[in-house]
Amino acid sequence: MTPVRRFFGPLSRAGLWLGGAFLLLLLLLPWWGSSYIMTVAITVFYLALIGQSWNLMLGFAGLLSIGHALFVGIGAYTAAYLFAAIGLPPVIGVLPAVGLAVLMGLLIGYLGFRFAIGGVYFALLTIAFAEFVRIVIDHVSWLGATEGFFLKVSAADRHGIDLANLRGAPEMYYYLIMALALGALVLCRFLLRSRLGYYWQAIRDDAEAAQALGVNILRYKMYAVAISSGMAGVAGVFYAFYQNSLFPEIVFNIERSIEATLGSIVGGVGTLFGPIFGTFILTPLGEIVTEAIDLLKHWGVIDPQIKLDGLKLLIWGFIVVLIVLFKPKGLWPWVCARLRLTRPEAEG
Amino acid sequence: MKTPKTPAVSRRTVLAGAGAGAVASAVPLRHGLAATALKVGVLLPRSGGQAQIGIECQYGADVALPILKSEGYPELEFMLGDTETKVDVARAQCERLIDAGAQAIIGCFDSGQTMAAAQVCEQKNIPLIVNIAAVPKLTELGYKWVFRNFPTGPMIVGDAFKNQKKLFGATGATPKTVALLHVNDTFGTSLAGALFALAPRFKMPYKIVEKIPYDPYGRDFSAEVRKVKGAKPDALWAVSRLNDAIAITKELVRQRVDLMGILSTGPGWYENAYLKATGKYGNDVVNLIPWYDENKPMTQKLKAAFKKAHPDLLLTTNQTFTFDACLIAADAFKRAGSTKNTDLQAALRKTNLTNNVGLGHAIKFNEKGQVPYVPCGAVQNRDGDLVVLLPQEAATGKPIWPMRPWRKR
Repeated sequence: MTPVRRFFGPLSRAGLWLGGAFLLLLLLLPWWGSSYIMTVAITVFYLALIGQSWNLMLGFAGLLSIGHALFVGIGAYTAAYLFAAIGLPPVIGVLPAVGLAVLMGLLIGYLGFRFAIGGVYFALLTIAFAEFVRIVIDHVSWLGATEGFFLKVSAADRHGIDLANLRGAPEMYYYLIMALALGALVLCRFLLRSRLGYYWQAIRDDAEAAQALGVNILRYKMYAVAISSGMAGVAGVFYAFYQNSLFPEIVFNIERSIEATLGSIVGGVGTLFGPIFGTFILTPLGEIVTEAIDLLKHWGVIDPQIKLDGLKLLIWGFIVVLIVLFKPKGLWPWVCARLRLTRPEAEG
Repeated sequence: MKTPKTPAVSRRTVLAGAGAGAVASAVPLRHGLAATALKVGVLLPRSGGQAQIGIECQYGADVALPILKSEGYPELEFMLGDTETKVDVARAQCERLIDAGAQAIIGCFDSGQTMAAAQVCEQKNIPLIVNIAAVPKLTELGYKWVFRNFPTGPMIVGDAFKNQKKLFGATGATPKTVALLHVNDTFGTSLAGALFALAPRFKMPYKIVEKIPYDPYGRDFSAEVRKVKGAKPDALWAVSRLNDAIAITKELVRQRVDLMGILSTGPGWYENAYLKATGKYGNDVVNLIPWYDENKPMTQKLKAAFKKAHPDLLLTTNQTFTFDACLIAADAFKRAGSTKNTDLQAALRKTNLTNNVGLGHAIKFNEKGQVPYVPCGAVQNRDGDLVVLLPQEAATGKPIWPMRPWRKR
């Protein structure tokens, strides 16, 4: 069996064909899609990357984090500052950025696990740290404080590709974030089927039983937090150089953390493809609702004078509630079963 | 003039055909309408935390269309975008509007969202006319397509100090101590920090004896108000949002914290919802904010049109600065005689508008795209109305300072 076939082992022939066709469509997006579609796709992959990182903690190791924006923010601020202050290209800056994010993850993890803080209390700890760092950065003038931290962009940046400095055309950002999201998928697939992944799943399912069998719970939980926060740190570096502006209140906002979890919840927590599938449903769904409203106004079904601002969020929220109510394990396992995308003995 | 219209047709067609639509194509519809109208994307937070303010800004754009037509300006066609009060959505929506054919963008009320839109406009060479956003960096990054007729944070702070001195001088009542009460979010921390730091530089006659931050999502302000009471300041200076301003006022009345006056910099204390919710207790608050000149002919027209469209609302910063942004776009379009981006950019650079509604003599952009000085005013709440106290040339009434005690209202 080839490594590629082994990697896609759980997928059926139909799943492989469908996945391949979808991937091809995405690879060719810059040729058929507008820049708006590409911007939406970049958001999808970006959220999928963070979702994958969050899923690694909760879905694989059973550790609930609601402060993942913290790791994203640390990665973003570190790389952006090093670039602006000493000209360190983000391709190198990603190392200290990820390093700091991992250190922060380890600190939270150690405090949490050492003192047996679990479940929602661990989640609260992650929120508390995210708030703490936000408030600190709010007062650090060399990071822009509340005024924000900015990276300069110009029209010239839009043309050409400077991968080392992450300056270039939207297509560059698109392929980069796509590669990062798919890379995270590959990493998670590898981890899930490694000894580490099995230990995590054992801890997730029954920590005491795992400990009784000799699994060092503290160590393996720390591994999960470190890898997850590192992945989020990478997403942060991308965010900084794509957005070019960082505001503590926006970057570390709890809303950002929750946003990162929704894709995984809708797609299926603990599944490999769930986070990416969930974000591919959720993010475009919001845009489709906007377009549908525009379409209905254009056709005269709805009076164009009627302002339906916020309706999109209501519909979006309603659909999310329906999914959570009727498919609590997420959409991906259900879609897999319906379309026979995975082999009967395998799971997503 | 055309009524506000939603953008793009071809994308809709694709959407209908795409079913699930997740990958629906967005072929720009740049040729759907005659070139006599300038397509302006009005990008605002219409949903999410800032929805109310975004909607109020839109009111200013809505009433601008008939007024500009009557003034002989060429046609504007609005395309509406909703940032959902999120930076990344602001970016995506700005892309969407431009893809759908927007030839200029107006927005976005919030600094972070405006910064995201500015980058898209800069990269796509589409003029962005900022209605409201105070972050100084917006016009300090060398952008060529960003034009802002709104005061930066330092301008607001500087004018707040100057107008206070004038107010104290005119009334002969000068507070010796002030408590600074501010919302603990990015906006509040930033503004309050600047006020606190710059007070000595402006040689203010008072001492800030207490700086009290509070949670932006707080509902009970009894502890904060007790702290104010404990500090026994002559005056209170507040940096707030809307709901907290209402709750703080009620708490000040409940705890009978009588002061020489309440000063406010930022939103909240002058807004329609505040005046309605607080009634007579909202009276006499002095707002040190960007404002409009009631004596200008265009303001009279705007005020009349706005009153007709929204009889229950008072005209505020949100509508007037959005109106002026529309005026800037229409004026540039008129002088450019074309919807071509470079022509519009060149015309915007040469803007010299004196028939605007904002305070100050004229709208002229410097090489950075910033109007070098956008004056702020002192505006007092008065029996459900708003009275301009300063600057003198725009004044519509005399100040009531010290303010009336709560019990005598």
